[in-house]
Amino acid sequence: MKPADSNGRVKGGADAVLTASGLGVGFFPEGKARLEVVGEVDLCLRPGRTTALVGESGCGKSITAASLGGLLPRGMALDRGEIRWAAGAECRPGRGLAYVFQDPGECLDPVFTIGSQIREVLPKEERGGAGERMSALLRTVGFEDPARVLASYPHQLSGGMQQRAMLALALAGRPRVLVADEPTTALDVTVQAKILRLLAELQRQENLAVLLITHNLGVVAEIADEVHVMYAGRVVESGPVELLRNPRHPYVKGLLKALPRLDGADSRLEGIEGSVPPLGRRPAGCRFHPRCPLARAVCQEREPEMRRRGEEGAVACWACGEGGWA
Amino acid sequence: MSGPLMNVEDLRVAYRAGRRKVEAVKGVSFEVGRGKCLGVVGESGSGKSSLARAVLGLEAEVSGRVEFDGQDVLSLKRAGRLAFRRRAQMVFQDPIGSLNPRMKAGAALAEVLRVHGLAKTRAEAAAQAAHWLETVGMDAAYAGRFPHELSGGQRQRVNLARALCVGAEFLVADEPVSALDVSVQAQILNLLKSLQENRGITWMLIGHDLAVMRHMADDVIVMKAGEVVERGPAADVLSRPAHPYTRELLASAPNVARALERRSRRGTV
Ligand SMILES: Nc1ncnc2c1ncn2[C@@H]1O[C@H](COP(=O)(O)OP(=O)(O)OP(=O)(O)O)[C@@H](O)[C@H]1O
Ligand code: SF4
Ligand SMILES: [Mg+2]
Repeated sequence: MKPADSNGRVKGGADAVLTASGLGVGFFPEGKARLEVVGEVDLCLRPGRTTALVGESGCGKSITAASLGGLLPRGMALDRGEIRWAAGAECRPGRGLAYVFQDPGECLDPVFTIGSQIREVLPKEERGGAGERMSALLRTVGFEDPARVLASYPHQLSGGMQQRAMLALALAGRPRVLVADEPTTALDVTVQAKILRLLAELQRQENLAVLLITHNLGVVAEIADEVHVMYAGRVVESGPVELLRNPRHPYVKGLLKALPRLDGADSRLEGIEGSVPPLGRRPAGCRFHPRCPLARAVCQEREPEMRRRGEEGAVACWACGEGGWA
Repeated sequence: MSGPLMNVEDLRVAYRAGRRKVEAVKGVSFEVGRGKCLGVVGESGSGKSSLARAVLGLEAEVSGRVEFDGQDVLSLKRAGRLAFRRRAQMVFQDPIGSLNPRMKAGAALAEVLRVHGLAKTRAEAAAQAAHWLETVGMDAAYAGRFPHELSGGQRQRVNLARALCVGAEFLVADEPVSALDVSVQAQILNLLKSLQENRGITWMLIGHDLAVMRHMADDVIVMKAGEVVERGPAADVLSRPAHPYTRELLASAPNVARALERRSRRGTV
């Protein structure tokens, strides 16, 4: 994480492959006014680093991810902020930018073999020696018998294998940025652990910039370098992953306390009162104020901006930092 | 009242796939003490959901013995089965799938109450429905909402109210919180625990999240490929697992504190 400037904006480092600042996505329901789905999102993706977007259902993680590659659902538009790519990096799904999803069905076509799907996305100059490159790709994602997998249709592979095949497909176009949206959510924990290890390894080997989308703070702690926690369309706290040891934002604190512990040292969990507001019913001021144990009058009236937190990272909360009460 | 509420011996569940017979549960035995929570841990395909349905008498090809409060569940006659259905209920992962989308929460509860002859008049049913909503921590005003007007956590509460209102003492919950947000999951887990403590509900909790199991279960059984590979008090099994498979499960569980600890030792954060 780069030091944030005084108003919390993350500066894009010279080494960044993708820098997004002030991103905002609007939803335009027919005949109605723009609804903000996400806003004021700053991201800085760097080679060999994993940046996590984490938060509860509906907070806007997937929409943020989709906006980077022009994959927004119908009725939505990326209409605020800007995205800058490093020179030479193309912003196009399948090339500079690749996606993997929770459901391999979104990437893998059931009627073609894995091999023919991978061949399809290989850069032109590699199509000649395609066989070798494809076998190498499959070995990279942990298959010991590439030939068999290349000849298989997706339904002939288990969930974990499909996830690996999807990764191979994503890597085939030699992307610089890999966006992984809940890549392990549907998998058993033992398979999840293997895929996470694989992701971390690929990120290092291929010098990939990874944007990891997940609702699971444990997964973030396992492999992310930087983390942005989102709530109701905004990033509320961001910084190096160690911030999860000692977060500042009341929502992030609440999330961590709500998790049951493996050592069983908790007879009662502290949940957060209420639930996440749906789109269109997000409150004014700080969006977390109806659920926040620290809320004061100012929280209902004015939205807090991201402010710098120590040397690195930033937090959006009136109670935190100078003049605050937390 | 003595002895365990549920006693299962050498339970086997099979499915037919064409001519082949596949055994999903291969001779499992356990008991659940009154007012206790038994956790069933395992990954997909381990047979835990088949086991859950079988103990409620909802599977066709079953052998072995399932005893509920001293009664043999697998050979119950019609009247006995109805009474058993009231006392032992299932709670599912996806509450939206198990609620009628065209029925308001209050009406759904009232219907169950009347089907089981527990409320004579409409007014009586409505009053009881309101009471049960409050029991699961919801304002009675939610009786007027349709399932799609409720959050995931609220729908799971309605689901629990529906099981409790007919007098269930034994609840089999198959991944009851895995579709919920963490902040809401904590509320529901607290509710499940208070139902155990304050109403003496006996639970069989099926799940894959070991931290949730550690929090909820008194005893656990760990299943793999239809068999129990390890069993014992949750505090022992989940802190000092003896079986390599349980160890692998435990090592694979993503955990914030443990991951940060490990990475800072390695210098990768
Ligand atoms: N196709 C769509 N049309 C209208 N609204 C949508 C659409 N897709 C998502 N939304 C809304 O946009 C908001 C952000 O959704 P998004 O999918 O980014 O959430 P998420 O953080 O990825 O959640 P999850 O953890 O459930 O995947 C939500 O309020 C959601 O209801
Ligand atoms: S700004 Fe106010 S309401 Fe929002 S998180 Fe901070 S203290 Fe709570
Ligand atoms: Mg999503």
